[in-house]
Amino acid sequence: MELYSPEGLRIDGRRWNELRRFECKINTHPHSADGSSYVEQGNTKIICMVRGPMEPAMKSQVNATSSTVEVNVSLANFSTFERKKRSKTDKRITELKTTLERTFNECIMGHLYPRTLISVTVQVLAQDGGLLAAMTNAVTLALIDAGIAMYDYVSGVNAGLYDQTSALLDLNTLEENDMCSLTIGVIGKSEKLALVVLEDKLPLDRLESVLAIAIAGSHRIRELMDMEVRKHGNMRLAKVSV
Amino acid sequence: MITNRKRLSSGLSVTSKVFVRSRNGNALKIVREHYLRNDIPCYSHACHKCQEIVKPDAQGQLPKFILSSSPTKTKDGVSHYVVIDTNIILHAIDLLENTQCFYDVIVPQTVLEEVRNRSFPIYQRLRNLVKSEDKRFVVFHNEYNEATYVNREKGQSINDRNDHAIRKVASWFNSHLNTENSPTPIHIIFICNDVDNCTKAKQEGIDARSLVDYIDSLPNGEDLRDLIPSDIVLPGNFEGDQNETVFPEYYSNARIMAGIKNGTLYQGMLNISSYNYLQGTVSVPAFKKPLLIIGSKNLNRAFNSDSVIVELLPKDKWKEPSSTIIEEGSIGADDNAGDDEDDLGEETGGVVSDKERVFLAQEAMKATSSKTNESRLQPTAKIVGVVRRSWRYYVGQIAPSSVSEETGHSSRSCFVILMDKLLPKVRIRTRKAKEYLGQRIVIVVDSWPSNSRYPNGHFVRTLGEIESAEAETEALLLEHDVEYRPFSKNVLDCLPKEGDNWVVPDMTDPQDPQLKKRVDLRDRLVCSIDPPGCVDIDDALHARVLPNGNYEVGVHIADVTHFVKPNTALDQEGASRGTSVYLVDKRIDMLPMLLGTNLCSLKPFVDRFAFSVIWELDENANILKVDYMKSVIKSRQAFSYEQAQLRIDDPTQTDELTNSMRVLLKLSKKLKQGRMDAGALNLASPEVKVHMDSETSDPQEVEIKKLLETNSLVEEFMLFANISVARKIYDSYPQTAMLRRHAPPPATNFETLNDMLNVRKNGMSISLESSKALADSLDRIVDPNDPYFNTLIRIMSTRCMMAAEYFPSGSYGYPEFRHYGLAVDIYTHFTSPIRRYCDVVVHRQLAGAIGYENLDLSHRDKQRMEMIVKNINKRHRNAQFAGRSSIEYYVGQVMRNNEAEHEGYVIKCFNNGIVVLVPKFGVEGLIKLETMGDLATANYNEDKYELTFTDLKGAQRTVAMFDKVTVDVKSVKDEVSGKRRAQLMLR
Ligand SMILES: [Zn+2]
Repeated sequence: MELYSPEGLRIDGRRWNELRRFECKINTHPHSADGSSYVEQGNTKIICMVRGPMEPAMKSQVNATSSTVEVNVSLANFSTFERKKRSKTDKRITELKTTLERTFNECIMGHLYPRTLISVTVQVLAQDGGLLAAMTNAVTLALIDAGIAMYDYVSGVNAGLYDQTSALLDLNTLEENDMCSLTIGVIGKSEKLALVVLEDKLPLDRLESVLAIAIAGSHRIRELMDMEVRKHGNMRLAKVSV
Repeated sequence: MITNRKRLSSGLSVTSKVFVRSRNGNALKIVREHYLRNDIPCYSHACHKCQEIVKPDAQGQLPKFILSSSPTKTKDGVSHYVVIDTNIILHAIDLLENTQCFYDVIVPQTVLEEVRNRSFPIYQRLRNLVKSEDKRFVVFHNEYNEATYVNREKGQSINDRNDHAIRKVASWFNSHLNTENSPTPIHIIFICNDVDNCTKAKQEGIDARSLVDYIDSLPNGEDLRDLIPSDIVLPGNFEGDQNETVFPEYYSNARIMAGIKNGTLYQGMLNISSYNYLQGTVSVPAFKKPLLIIGSKNLNRAFNSDSVIVELLPKDKWKEPSSTIIEEGSIGADDNAGDDEDDLGEETGGVVSDKERVFLAQEAMKATSSKTNESRLQPTAKIVGVVRRSWRYYVGQIAPSSVSEETGHSSRSCFVILMDKLLPKVRIRTRKAKEYLGQRIVIVVDSWPSNSRYPNGHFVRTLGEIESAEAETEALLLEHDVEYRPFSKNVLDCLPKEGDNWVVPDMTDPQDPQLKKRVDLRDRLVCSIDPPGCVDIDDALHARVLPNGNYEVGVHIADVTHFVKPNTALDQEGASRGTSVYLVDKRIDMLPMLLGTNLCSLKPFVDRFAFSVIWELDENANILKVDYMKSVIKSRQAFSYEQAQLRIDDPTQTDELTNSMRVLLKLSKKLKQGRMDAGALNLASPEVKVHMDSETSDPQEVEIKKLLETNSLVEEFMLFANISVARKIYDSYPQTAMLRRHAPPPATNFETLNDMLNVRKNGMSISLESSKALADSLDRIVDPNDPYFNTLIRIMSTRCMMAAEYFPSGSYGYPEFRHYGLAVDIYTHFTSPIRRYCDVVVHRQLAGAIGYENLDLSHRDKQRMEMIVKNINKRHRNAQFAGRSSIEYYVGQVMRNNEAEHEGYVIKCFNNGIVVLVPKFGVEGLIKLETMGDLATANYNEDKYELTFTDLKGAQRTVAMFDKVTVDVKSVKDEVSGKRRAQLMLR
């Protein structure tokens, strides 16, 4: 099948600048965590749970001026079409973990919670491209649900360059396998990036066009997440006021 | 299987496609998202609704509406669009490309995907049809369209579901275009050769027709009927053949995969020997020597240059390569193509015909007798599978003996003998066999079932009378895969709108920042020197003495890339053509005429954009400084080589321009000396030129090309510029610089030639230590009695050399960049961008290197460069072959009127014939033993390269390698292949 046909349609029927189906929920596991969320970005499905701020179990995790974010990532064996066992020390998992930790340490107002640990667990149920972006969105929502102070939303999406000419938004697995792609996390409605990960190489003079659609896509995702947060907030408010 | 649809806020709806795939024996459930939309237009000019729903693509382009609002009509005057089914495309792509039918065609996406899965080359041809817009083909993405998407019913096969989807496209277009308020009704005809699908379509109210019915309904249907492929007219046609299998069946895919994995089967490309069409070789990486494939049963239906799977034969069947000549003409030419069983295979017990068996027996004898020379024994193999067919258009002629005498209107089988001697004859069905006799025709091969002795094909079109210049020229272009059709509309659209009136813009215009980067060199005394009558002037030169006594020398090359911007249709067309092709009486341009002969051509007396290389050279032509710049120049004069030579030689001419040419000549001699000292080779090839009568354009006489000093002047500076540019772009783009290399010849290439020289010419030999040693040793090989002998050896050495090739710098290490023939460490082609695509790429890279403009990504990406290089290497080779064949054809025509005896040299010896080269015409021809003497008395001494026989007058005679012989040169038409060639007879 053609990845991006001359008629301008992608392998799953979208156009270049269209997001996949994005659905999210917060407060999905109110009893087992302080904050939780569920995100579906296309067929990539993620559950995230946040505990804390709490006292760190280990002395080494104590930071006198700020909180410490710890992220644990687990990929379900059935998350890809071919079932595969992965060890915890899988290089890719470690990379995802450190990327997320670094990103959210910056975006949480850590100085409000000195000497505490914020523990984030990300469970990947299904993978179909844009894994890091979907994780970022899930963590953001779970942190908000946990009531942890953040500077703003961090909304993530990936984008790629097809045939060195056409920038495509929100790649699925098939597309990701065949082109170089970029994942970004945008802070709020700004154009500030909390996260940029580039796999493979991207020609410098095309970077701008890819970044531009990725930022626009992230803003759209932020709106969708914001709608869910507000909807949930209103629902809770209604319960409280009754 | 499809689950429920869900509407998204963005106006799309999403469903998921679930399918099960088996991998390594496990079932795998795969779920993919599938988005449906309502903004896919119908692409018809007759529709006004769709103009409003279109959306731009990633480049901001809106879709073009292609389908005409007044499409072609059938015999009955019905304006119609056509929706085609997959099997029609797979079997009749030639017909779709034909300019006499099939306009306004809708290709459903479902069909496109099926075609792509079945045959990638046909998919590409289909995509090209869509892209060129000439024939108004559109791809309609029905699978993504909410209105045309169909679910797969429970228990429905994928094929049935896809058929349904395709029918849905036809009915959708029908109702979409023909509403009450549409001005002209446009009928939708669905063409499909599947009876079941046709019936269903008719039930759904669609006008479904088979290909034959559709063609019959066209006004020119009668002419087109023969173009319908054989297997569509009569599925399972050509029944008639023997019922038993003639050829072994190919192995199953699974068996081939397993065999390759465990190392018992090998994959490689089949090369049929040019002297024996029943013998081929397959080179596989696993063996040092190529594997021999002998006999048609082992060749098992493979064509020359097919990609095949081979299996080794047991060791007792290994043998030496044959030193016998076999041409297809001599075997089986009189077979009947008929469908009648009686006529076929009477005495053939299987595939081996009697004559074939004789040859095989002779071969077998030899393999067993010459045990002494074990090392020449080569492993043999048989072909058990064909991975990729090299089938393309073939040119040939109908074998007269295969045309049945009966008259009648039904179509009959006949044989087509292809021009390419390495290929078997092909059986086609036509009603007009008699009409096509004596004409060059184009055919396509459709299939070669294992129960058929010959491949089946169908007629495409006729080129005209055999031996008419037009037919022969077109034939050789087709045979060498040269694209010669006029440039399509979307290519021509890329040219400047001003056309011939385009002029260099005002250089003082401050608006254009690029113009500011150009250097104004209009004050330099630039001139061009080319062959007489040259219209596409790529290059021009200037020289002047600097105040410090040094010289400023400039080479100015047409600035083609100013007009040919990357990724335009024009660029893609140039890239795919790769090179212009020069035939004796015709030139096939790489770029449209307007550029080649006007806007880019460095014509005299007008301003032109150029890309200049300017050196400061000292008295000994050493480089003190080199600069590269985009410039604007004004040539003072366009000389021919002779004019320039006369002017330089005339002492009364003392003007500045002439003096500057003298400077150039002086420096060029220094440059040449320097190259020769470094060991550059001077290899002769029998280059001949055909003089044409300008009135009748009939060829008049043949002349070996003469070289003047001014030829070498231009050549030296072009080499010089190429080398300087190569260094510059390699410096800037170490991984992707477009370069050209020439590998040193492996010693084995010269083994035979050296052995022959040693045996026949008292220990003379060619040294291979270095190019310098080779050049020197070639100089020493002289026969005091025969000045031509040295040239002969040079010609033969050229054939032992490797071919030079283009490559991106990343694919070799620096030491391997070397150009052996020119004896330089790095080289490229920069000086002819009008006629070579390599130079276009190099121009862009150089422009990037000097910061004139950003280099396009495709020339910075290693994989893309590999693809470009692969194509231009192939095009370059084809162009050379085409040029040579063209000369051959005209030389044949000249010889027709000049039959005489000439001197020739024996350049190959076989046990049943010799090959003689006639320097006067640059032709070589085979002389078979039976035309020289008695077969029975012949004795071939392989060690001494001598053939001894009793000649026709009864005298004992010996001919040997390198012998100078007198031959009667006659031009004869081969009645079987229709090719005219030199027939030589030994005196
Ligand atoms: Zn429409």
